[in-house]
Amino acid sequence: MIRGLRDLLLFFQRDLRIASTYRSPFVMEVIEALFGAAMFYYVARFVDSPELRQSLPQGTTYFAYSLVGFAFFDYLHAALGSFDRSLEEARDTGTLEPLLVTQVPLPVVIAGSAMYPFLATTVRIVVYLGWGAALFGFPLRSANWLSVIAVLLVTLLAFSGMGILSAAYLLLFKRGNPAKWFLLSVSSVAGGMLFPVSILPDWLQILAHLNPVTYALDAMRSALLDGANVLQIARPLSILLMFALILLPLSFGAFSWALRRTKITGTLSHR
Amino acid sequence: MVYVRFALFSGGRHVINSRVPDHAIRIDSLSKSFPPAHTGWRAFFQPFAASTSPALRDVSLRVEQGEAVALLGTNGAGKTTLLRILATLLIPTNGTASIAGYDAVRDSSAVRRQIGYHAGSDLGFYARLTGYENLRFFGRLNHLDDSLLRKRIPELAEQFELQGALGRQVRTLSSGTIQRLSLLRAILHEPKVLLLDEPTRSLDAIAAAEFRNFLQSEVLRKQGTSLLFASHTLPEIEFLADRVAILNEGELIALDTPAHLKSRHGAATLEQAFCRLTGHSAAALGGPTPS
Repeated sequence: MIRGLRDLLLFFQRDLRIASTYRSPFVMEVIEALFGAAMFYYVARFVDSPELRQSLPQGTTYFAYSLVGFAFFDYLHAALGSFDRSLEEARDTGTLEPLLVTQVPLPVVIAGSAMYPFLATTVRIVVYLGWGAALFGFPLRSANWLSVIAVLLVTLLAFSGMGILSAAYLLLFKRGNPAKWFLLSVSSVAGGMLFPVSILPDWLQILAHLNPVTYALDAMRSALLDGANVLQIARPLSILLMFALILLPLSFGAFSWALRRTKITGTLSHR
Repeated sequence: MVYVRFALFSGGRHVINSRVPDHAIRIDSLSKSFPPAHTGWRAFFQPFAASTSPALRDVSLRVEQGEAVALLGTNGAGKTTLLRILATLLIPTNGTASIAGYDAVRDSSAVRRQIGYHAGSDLGFYARLTGYENLRFFGRLNHLDDSLLRKRIPELAEQFELQGALGRQVRTLSSGTIQRLSLLRAILHEPKVLLLDEPTRSLDAIAAAEFRNFLQSEVLRKQGTSLLFASHTLPEIEFLADRVAILNEGELIALDTPAHLKSRHGAATLEQAFCRLTGHSAAALGGPTPS
């Protein structure tokens, strides 16, 4: 267990060290986050109306609503895309095979390689919300940070399963991330990113309620904007945990099968 | 495989099975086929295609502890496939392969603890990390302590004349230097079995000769490591190998010492013996002999 954690940390240190050799992207991302937050602020001012305020949860501004939706989507993007991206990078740089002949199993390699992107995304979200709070009145003070952390962790677990499934797909088919494509495409409409799902037609609302993104966003907005405690968001959290319990074993099984298959077909390092 | 059981306590509750392998590498009736490469819409089903193109056919081979065996064959003869099966990167179609008594498929993690593998390419490093950072990372993944790595990496780097490369990002190094780094990585954790695919392919003549000397004096003689390596450089094979395994279209057609191979086939050189065995004309190999 301790050795596994140490191995995971090695990958994190590796990626941090590599990232530190590129200086400008961090500065650019901080500036990009400022313009992103500003964009949502001015769009919110432009579209603000009594009807819109009625559709939003009590006391929430459209700026706060949409900024949380956008920032959280970034997090989903990382959870869904980090595993297959790390695998793709290892394959393309030729480090996959040297990694596979070390004493660390591939699931640790993949999980370890996803750690840095998760943390980098978390920092990016904090920067987005920080700009929003500092310059545009985003209500950070009302957040319940324990609940926010709980939502982030449970979301990570729930969507990592999809991410690992995508990595299994990449091993077999060499390109593409169907889980990311499907979930992010559907969720951009039926997930509550920029507008509440209550304004959707009935059939899309059914789809939205089958979509884990809807629950993750609901829970995050409640924790961040309403200061809801963990008990108050127990329902969306338990639904997300259920997704995790189903998806994680399934994804590990699929990944092991895909790895074995590529060792049979000899296509492990093929692009 | 010989099992030695040590009863530690009189009650017999705690018993250790110490596996004393009879061979460093044991390969029995090993065959490997690959699916044919599909194009167009059929490529989508490539991962599920049946393996019908043979790369290895019924190969059986033993490598004793401390022995060096060379794999010799034309391109596509199956040398790399054999090494990759032993390195747990491929699963054989039929037959078994084991290292230090561990099966390469069933006990792949135990096999990886025994081996050092060099794939023969100058890829496989993080371009933005320095030579030292790369070696430390892979050393730590092989569960070597930082204190040991701080001592061993500079020592080995000196032997490989890589001191200058340790502090430089890998993207700034030449392909020969990266290949030497890769060889250093393969032996860093002092594996019991070394699998090398064309180890001196990108090295200049001096670096190649120094590496061969190092391999023979330090790795084979001092550490008693077993070596299975593929090479097209016949003087290298004669210098390093106790025995030579000649592969032709996936079949093992000869396995003997270089001297016996030459005498048995009435050949003055290993090159002639190889050509006679594989049915190639010696003139086909008429280029300058690598040093």
